[in-house]
Amino acid sequence: MAFSLRLLESRRFITLVLLGALAWSAYNINWSEPIVHSGGGSSLVTLVKSLFTPELSPSFLKLALEATWVTIAYAVAGISIAVPIGLSLGLVASGVLTKPGAQRRVVMVATRLFLAVIRSIHELVWALLFVAALGLSPMAGILALGITYGGILGRIYADIINDVPDAPLKALRSSGASEWKVLLYGRLPLALSDMLSYTFYRFECAVRAAAVLGFVGLGGLGLEIQLSLDDLFFDEVWTLLYFLVGIIILVDLWSSALRKRLVS
Amino acid sequence: MIRPQDLGHRVSFRMPRIDVVKGSIVAVILLALVSWSYILLQDSTGFGDLFSPSTWRRGSDFVGRLLGVGSAGTPAFLTLDAWVDGGRLAYKTLAMSILAAVFAGVAVLLTFLPGARNVASGELGSGHPMARYPLFILVRGLFIFSRAVPELIWAFLVIFVLSPGILTGAVALAIHNYGILGKLSSEVVEDLDPKPTRALQAAGAGNSKVLFYGILPQVMPQFLTYLLYRWEVIIRTTIVVGFVGAGGLGREFRLSMSFFHYTDVTVLLAWYVILVVFVDLVSSWLRRLAR
Repeated sequence: MAFSLRLLESRRFITLVLLGALAWSAYNINWSEPIVHSGGGSSLVTLVKSLFTPELSPSFLKLALEATWVTIAYAVAGISIAVPIGLSLGLVASGVLTKPGAQRRVVMVATRLFLAVIRSIHELVWALLFVAALGLSPMAGILALGITYGGILGRIYADIINDVPDAPLKALRSSGASEWKVLLYGRLPLALSDMLSYTFYRFECAVRAAAVLGFVGLGGLGLEIQLSLDDLFFDEVWTLLYFLVGIIILVDLWSSALRKRLVS
Repeated sequence: MIRPQDLGHRVSFRMPRIDVVKGSIVAVILLALVSWSYILLQDSTGFGDLFSPSTWRRGSDFVGRLLGVGSAGTPAFLTLDAWVDGGRLAYKTLAMSILAAVFAGVAVLLTFLPGARNVASGELGSGHPMARYPLFILVRGLFIFSRAVPELIWAFLVIFVLSPGILTGAVALAIHNYGILGKLSSEVVEDLDPKPTRALQAAGAGNSKVLFYGILPQVMPQFLTYLLYRWEVIIRTTIVVGFVGAGGLGREFRLSMSFFHYTDVTVLLAWYVILVVFVDLVSSWLRRLAR
């Protein structure tokens, strides 16, 4: 018993587990067929070459710019649904406003479970389901984004709100503040910087997700990329991808500037 | 999940004179207003449809069909065959996710050092200064580019080169996660305590010794934790790269959706959720061991 426990705790054990997992996964690849399909090599050369010759004609740049804007608009709309869902459910899941007891445990566990279910399904799967249910419309994509990201934000917000250091809260309580006031003047200001930086990180992910939503038929960068891929116009694909990279870099710079200000 | 404090960016960026916080609040509100009005002013936003009874009827019809209402013959989720077939796909999908995590992890281990600011400045380790900065920019550029492009789009490109199968999906997932893991790992190095490496250097240890006894032991636990977190994200995304023919649950899900085999969709979704929960559990167990 003691031996097996020591074995379980050792780093060697992890290494063994990881190597075993790798061997098992490699075994599952279909090795009987060629890995690079016929024509794959020449497509790779074309792909890499067009990386350096993106399509830069004014009319295409205009189209790319429009698609970029649509993608940003969907991402913003999705996040603006996700934040209220995350905030309200996150607060309930953190259980800071209710009195300790069996009832609170039940509510907290149920909310966390609900958040886990809605975020465990990928946003594109939600989008496909919503398109099947609501028909092809921007709302299907935005709702899909809002729901998945609401689940993710809710869980993280709950964790951050719970992890706030206790001492300042005790000081507030001893001066007679109600739990609501403790939340407003203690927990939220202390948690704000972490919550904001995580929300920004998720916004970055939302931009990518919004681009991908183009593949279920919603407009934006994803749709344009798919259209260009169908015509094998790799130059256009790279131009669109450069625009996507551009947005990500901008969001990155904005969030780091904001965080620097909030931390200092 | 990635903790927010781990996502700290160290991009040096000269502050403009305007107040960043106030400017950001105004910008966020403006952006939200403009985005929503742009979306709602389109011809077919679907926003009004959300409240129309016909939409709700269609929605509940759809859920009903997932649950086997009005399906011809036995619903798939009541037959053993459908569950066994789904299980076989789930098994392949799990293999795809592990391959993706390993590919990304190995690629990051080979490149994360030059991507750290303190290595590039010569504070940590050594190397020729003329080589360090170009290498830093190259590696960071690679990280940003591979991270900015989503897995599905990488999959679309990879499928032009590799035969359809789990390897294709794994490569696409690995490229995207390489960028994320690489950035996080480089930042771990930037936060490193330089004292142990300095002590090693003072004792006459060579470059490789400094790496293996000074840097890696400090970085590895954090790196493993990130890798396992990413594995949880990867398993969720396997279904998406499957859409483009990368095999596994995703491909079958897409096919069943387009053939309106809704009860099969239910089985596949159930397997998908089982996989996600399973990976979450294994990953949190391994993370505890790695600490």
